[in-house]
Amino acid sequence: MLCNGIFARQRQAHHDHPRVKKLSTSFVAAAVLLPSLALLIAVGIWYLQGESQQSAAVVHLTQADWQDADGRSFRQPPASIDSNALPHRWQSAALPSVLPVTAQHPAASGGLPVRTTWLKMSLPARPALAGPLVLYGVRIKTDGTVAVYANGRLVHRAQQNGPLWNSLFTPLWVPLDETEGHAPLTEILIRVEHAPETAVGLSSLWMGPVDALRGRYYLRQWLQRELPATLSAAFMVVGIFAFFVWVRRSHETSYLLFFNLAAVSFVGHLHYYVSLPIVSDWFAWLTANALFWLLVVIHLFLRQLHGRRQRWLSLLLVGVTLASSVASLPFIAILPVYPSTSLLVPLMYAIAVLMGLVVSIVGGVSAHGRSREGLLLAAGVGLSTLLGMSDWLLYNNVINPEGWFLGAYTNAVTFAMFGQLMYRRYVNAITEVEQVNAGLAQRLQAREAELELSHKLLREAALRQSISDERQRLMQDMHDGLGSTLISAIRSVEHGGMNSAKVSQTLKDCLDDLKLMIDSMEPVDADLLLLLATLRFRLEPRLEGTDITLVWEVQELPPLDWLEPSSALHILRIVQESIANSLRHTRASRIRVHTAAGGDGITVTIEDNGQGFDVATALDSAAGRGLHNQQRRAQAIRGKVSWVSNSAGTSFTLWLPLERHA
Amino acid sequence: MLQGPPTDVLLVDLGLPDGSGIDVIQESIIRWPSCSVMVSTNFGDETHVMRSIEAGAAGYLLKDSSPARIIDEIRSLASGGSPISPIIARQVLARFRTSAGVTQDKVVLPGQVEASSELLSPREMEVLNYITRGFTAQETAKLMQLSPYTVRTFVRRIYGKLKVSSKSEAIYEARTLGLLRD
Repeated sequence: MLCNGIFARQRQAHHDHPRVKKLSTSFVAAAVLLPSLALLIAVGIWYLQGESQQSAAVVHLTQADWQDADGRSFRQPPASIDSNALPHRWQSAALPSVLPVTAQHPAASGGLPVRTTWLKMSLPARPALAGPLVLYGVRIKTDGTVAVYANGRLVHRAQQNGPLWNSLFTPLWVPLDETEGHAPLTEILIRVEHAPETAVGLSSLWMGPVDALRGRYYLRQWLQRELPATLSAAFMVVGIFAFFVWVRRSHETSYLLFFNLAAVSFVGHLHYYVSLPIVSDWFAWLTANALFWLLVVIHLFLRQLHGRRQRWLSLLLVGVTLASSVASLPFIAILPVYPSTSLLVPLMYAIAVLMGLVVSIVGGVSAHGRSREGLLLAAGVGLSTLLGMSDWLLYNNVINPEGWFLGAYTNAVTFAMFGQLMYRRYVNAITEVEQVNAGLAQRLQAREAELELSHKLLREAALRQSISDERQRLMQDMHDGLGSTLISAIRSVEHGGMNSAKVSQTLKDCLDDLKLMIDSMEPVDADLLLLLATLRFRLEPRLEGTDITLVWEVQELPPLDWLEPSSALHILRIVQESIANSLRHTRASRIRVHTAAGGDGITVTIEDNGQGFDVATALDSAAGRGLHNQQRRAQAIRGKVSWVSNSAGTSFTLWLPLERHA
Repeated sequence: MLQGPPTDVLLVDLGLPDGSGIDVIQESIIRWPSCSVMVSTNFGDETHVMRSIEAGAAGYLLKDSSPARIIDEIRSLASGGSPISPIIARQVLARFRTSAGVTQDKVVLPGQVEASSELLSPREMEVLNYITRGFTAQETAKLMQLSPYTVRTFVRRIYGKLKVSSKSEAIYEARTLGLLRD
C-alpha cells in the first residue's frame, strides 16, 4: 500500500515535470529582471537626488535688468566692474527671455560691429548660507563671449573665442566662493559681447548651495547631452555590427543601408557633443547637410518597405539634397551654413523640416495597408521632424531659451525604429529556423521510415528469391539424381527384374546421394578441405569391411570464396563418383586422395592401383556416362577434370580455379 | 522408463513421436548421471547433433550404419569415447572461439570452476583441427602419437565443455536480456 503510494506520487511528479520547469523558468526570469530594473532606478535616484533638502535656500532669479552698447571690437572683460559705473539706461525683462535686438544708432551704423549687452540680477537679502554656493542656469544663448560677475568680481568666462558647437546644450554652472569676511552676494552681472544683429537669450537662473542644485544640473546635463550621446553611440555600434553582417551577406543591401544610416546619423548629431568652436568649415557643412542625407536614405528605405517607386519624389529629394550639399560646400559657399547669421540658414533648416514632413506623410500614406514596418518608419520620421522643429524654434528664438533641444533625440528615434525592424527580423529568423528544423526533422523521420520500408521489401524480395533459387536447385538435383534412381528402381522391382540385394544397393545409393545433398548445404566457409573431409566421413562405412585402404594425404588449401551449396554439391559428386569408380570397377587395394595448391587454382587428385581403363574408349562408350557427368559438373563450376590411366592404376585430377568470375 | 535403475548407455531417437528427444536427454542426464546418452539420427547433420551434445549427449549414431558398426560405437561410448564428424568439429571450434571471447571480455560466471576449464586445451584443439581436415580418429591418434581410445575420450571431454559453455552462454544471454538477476 505504502509502496503503491510512493509510486503514484513519483508518477505524478513525473507528470508535472513540464509545468514545474516552466514555473521555475518564469521565476528565474522574474528574479533576474526585477533586480535589474531596481538597480537602474536606484542609480537614477542617487544620481539626481539633492533637490529635496535645502531647497528653501535656493533663490530663483526670474527678473533681470539689461542694457547694451555698441563698440568697435571685442575686448577682454575687466577683472572687476561696478554696475553703478554703467550708464543708467537699464530696461527690465522677465526671465527666461530673448532680449529684443535694438536698432543701432544711426550715426554709428556699420562702424560698430560689436555690441556689449549687460544683464543685471539683484539677489534678495537672506541669511548667510553654509557650504559652497553655485549659480545654475539652462543656457545663455549668444554667438559671442560670456563673462559672469558676482558682486562686481569676474567669476566665470565662456565662449572666449565665440560659441562652441555644444555651448547651447551645456548648462551654466558657476561656483561662487562666498568666503567669510566678504559681504554676502547681492548682485550677479553678466556681460555678453556679440554681433549687433543677433539676439541674446537668457534662461532663468538659480542660486543656492551646490548640494541643492546638483540634481537639477545633472538631470539637465544627462537628458540634454549624455543620454542622446549614449544612444547615438549605441546606434553607431549597431550600425558597425550591421556592416559586418553585410560583409558576410553582401546580397542583403538593407544591412549596408542600416550602416549608412547609423554613420550619417552619428556624424549629423556630433555637433551636440563636441566642444569645438563654430566656424564655417567642413564640419559645419557636414552638420547642416547630414539631415538631408539622412532623409534621403530613410526615403529609400521606406521605398523598399512599401514597394512603391515614387520616382518623382525621389528625384526631388535627391535634387534638393545635392543642391544644398554642393552649394554649401566651404569652397563654393553659395549657401551659407551656421554660424552665419544670414537669413538663408534658418531657411535651409526649414526646408529640411519640410522635407522630413513630406517623407513622413508620403511614406505613411504609401505604406498604409502595405507594410506595417513602413508605417512605423514613417511615424518615426514624423516624430523626428517634430523633434527637429523644436530645435528650429529654439534657434530662431521663437520659444523661450529655457526649452529643450529635442533634435538630439531624433537619433534615438531613428535607432528605435530601425532597431525595431532588426529586432523583428531577428525574431522572425529564429522562429523560421526553428520551424525549418522541425520540418527537417519530420521529413528526415518520414524518409527514414520510407527507407526502412523499402529496405524491408528488398530484404523480403531477396529472401524470396534465394528461397526460390534454392528450391529450384534442390528440385533439379532430385530430378537428376535421387528421383530418377528411385523411379528406375521402382520399375525394376515392379517387373521383378531386381533381386533384393540390388534393391538394397540402389536404396543405399539413394541414401548416400541424399547425404551428399545434406552435406552440401552445411556451411563450410570456403573450406574445400572440410568439404572433402565430410565426404570421407560419409564414405568411411563403405570402406569398412573391404580390403581397400584409403590414404588421406591432404594439404592446407587457400579458401575458395565461391564455394556455395550448389558448387559444393558438384564437387562432392565429382569426387564421390571418382572414388566409387575406383571401388567398383578397378579392383584397387589402395586409393590415395591428395590435394595441392598451385598457380591460380587447386587440384584434388584421386589415384588407385587398380587395373585401369582406356580413357578415350570409356568416354566414347555408353558406359562412360559417369565420366561425362563429371565433366559436365566440372564445367558448371568452371573447373576441369582429367584422367590418366594404365595397367598400373588410374589417376583422376579435379582442377578448381581460386577465383571464379561471373 | 527413467524411473527405473540407470543403464550404461541410453539410445535416444530425436524424432520421437511423443515429444522432443532433447527433453529426454536433459531428463536422463539429471536422473542417470552415470549414463552415456547416444542420439540416433538419420543423417548426423550439424543442427541435430549440436543440439543434442549441448543438451548433454555423449555421442550419436547414424541409423543406416551396419550392425557391427553400431555395436562398436555403443561399446566405444560405454568405455568413455565419443564419435565426431568434421562438420561437428568445425562447429565446436567456432563455438569455443566465440565463447572464449565472451568469457575473456565479460564476466566470470558463478558455477564455473575456472575460466580456463571453459576453454579447449591445445591438444583438444589439435584433435578438432585434424578431424576437420578429414583425418579419422585412428589417423589423428597416430599423428599425435596417442592411442585411438585417447582421442575418443578427448572428444567426450570436449562435448562436456560444450555442454557447460552452452549453459553459461545461455546464462550470459539471459543476464544481458534481463531475464536473470545477477
